[in-house]
Amino acid sequence: MKVDGGVGWELDKVGAEAKALEDMGYSGIMTAETSHDPFFPLLVAAMNTQRVELMTAISVAFARTPMVLANIGHDLNAVSKGRFVLGIGSQIRPHITKRFSMPWSAPAARMREFILAMRAIWAAWHEGKPLEFAGRFYTHTLMTPFFTPTNNEYGAPKVFLAAVGPLMTEVAGEVADGVIIHAFTTEKYLRETTLPSLEKGFERAGKSRKDFEISYPVFVVTGKDDKAIEAAKVATKRQIAFYGSTPAYKPVLDSIGVGHLQSDLNSMSKQGRWEEMGHLITDDILKEFAVIGVPSTIAGQIKSRYGDLIDRTSAAYASIDKEDRQKIIKELTN
Amino acid sequence: MGFDGVRTAEMNHDPFFPLLLAAEHTTKIELISSIAVGFARSPMLLANIGHDLNAYSKGRVTIGLGSQIKPHITKRFSMPWGAPAAKMRELVLAMRAIWANWYDGAKLEFVGKFYTHTLMTPAFTPENKEYGAPKVILAAVGPHMTEVAGEVADGMIIHPFSTLPFINTVTLPAIEKGLAKAGRRREDFEISYSNFVVSGRTEEEFQKSKQANKERIAFYGSTPAYRGVLESIGVGDLQTELNTMSKQGRWKEMGTLITDDILDEFAVVGEPHTIVPEMKRRYGAFVDRTSASFEFVDRERRKEMIADLRRA
Repeated sequence: MKVDGGVGWELDKVGAEAKALEDMGYSGIMTAETSHDPFFPLLVAAMNTQRVELMTAISVAFARTPMVLANIGHDLNAVSKGRFVLGIGSQIRPHITKRFSMPWSAPAARMREFILAMRAIWAAWHEGKPLEFAGRFYTHTLMTPFFTPTNNEYGAPKVFLAAVGPLMTEVAGEVADGVIIHAFTTEKYLRETTLPSLEKGFERAGKSRKDFEISYPVFVVTGKDDKAIEAAKVATKRQIAFYGSTPAYKPVLDSIGVGHLQSDLNSMSKQGRWEEMGHLITDDILKEFAVIGVPSTIAGQIKSRYGDLIDRTSAAYASIDKEDRQKIIKELTN
Repeated sequence: MGFDGVRTAEMNHDPFFPLLLAAEHTTKIELISSIAVGFARSPMLLANIGHDLNAYSKGRVTIGLGSQIKPHITKRFSMPWGAPAAKMRELVLAMRAIWANWYDGAKLEFVGKFYTHTLMTPAFTPENKEYGAPKVILAAVGPHMTEVAGEVADGMIIHPFSTLPFINTVTLPAIEKGLAKAGRRREDFEISYSNFVVSGRTEEEFQKSKQANKERIAFYGSTPAYRGVLESIGVGDLQTELNTMSKQGRWKEMGTLITDDILDEFAVVGEPHTIVPEMKRRYGAFVDRTSASFEFVDRERRKEMIADLRRA
């Protein structure tokens, strides 16, 4: 199993951060897109590492055009000598239309086309195919040698797609190289909803499970002593409550029979009762989302629960010291 | 070498990555995208990229934007096209509204004809505000886009495909109009113009440079939007002819339509030692920055020429 670690946005620090993660044994490093460009840190990381994969997890696809992302993906994959993984997600409608001022519609169908458009652009650049992509959402029919990258040695990056619902998950299975599963997922949901949707997508594209990576950042509740574990429990419960307030994620709560919580959490979130929301997440619910225990048990728990299911996971293991962290990474990656 | 700034263009690569690396490896030089395609991106993305680069470089970044032309926006980038000058004006104002929200806490309520930005939360607001917003400059040719630059941008890039008569009768008056509209002064605005240079160490090099520049001028001259520039020197009809030839792929031949007289209107032509004095004489009165590779002289001489220009 591969293990990914996150780096921050501070461009004067990210080189050292990335190098430290590589030295610790991480398989990949990830950036998120919140208040900064998600690609700049990976360029710096590429210059400061040799081995680790470099992944956006995620960048907002619909905030960009397929051409701009194809170009960014090409450049980062070339400079990193084939180590870039373009992880993308849809975000939600208000952010696309009111924050990014970009169009939103039928997210799964649009995302499918977005990825196919990038692949058509890369095929034009890397294999000399004519660019004739005329879809429902995107049109790319103009490309000249002047706008074609010439450093084609490493070709296109892998594309991973973040998905929660069955439609987006199926699109990931069909057109992406991997899926990034939301941390807010239960084992039951993974096995009963995610996997069948992926398989539907594989079938449509005629590919097999082994050509595909499933990335799932497991919630890990651990600490150097009971007190630290208790504190991690409280924090994780709050985080789960926060995600659980999102209407789109109700099916995940349904998977463990607590779908009714969603409306409660949602109304509490609107009243800003964040602390209290965490109390609604019982220890039993927490167990469905998280592996819990002292550091030496974590890797074993992740492997036995998800070993047959996922190809990569991610965790900062921030609440434990470096040595324990390294042991977990080693055990997982071996 | 003594340059004041480095520039990247957007052709077949991302134009911002090289500026990030340049920022890492320099301390003084200005970092300029010249240009990035404005309409290929949402104002929010440009605001974010501009913020990150400016913060990391400690305030040395200028985001230079151009409109590109309709087929590239719609068929290459798959983005909408509409009234370019009005849209570019809005794009710059939208970026400024986003920055005002991030740096001054002004509410983000930008509802325009082309762009809408009304959603911003603390999670998406950059926290490193020390250096604020980068400068924004626009590439412009026609009077409308030029006026927009004068009104909302911190400077403008005059297209190399320009003549003195065009600059004097179209560009400078349009800038003044834009500046007046915004109640700004010429000193607050930076005009960048990179004229064509034809020179060489030997007669052979000189002829080669002449030929190459004529072909480039012919290439630009085939563009319908640039007809006004040819008209400024009384050869507007050339545009139609060049356009037809370009569609037939007769690129080499097109260069032969550019006579030495036409070339002189676009380029500073002469032996290496005459170039800088002539640039100063022709453009010194209105140009704040220029760019030059002066590849026809050795490194030491080039440094002297750059130093000489900087004194102007």
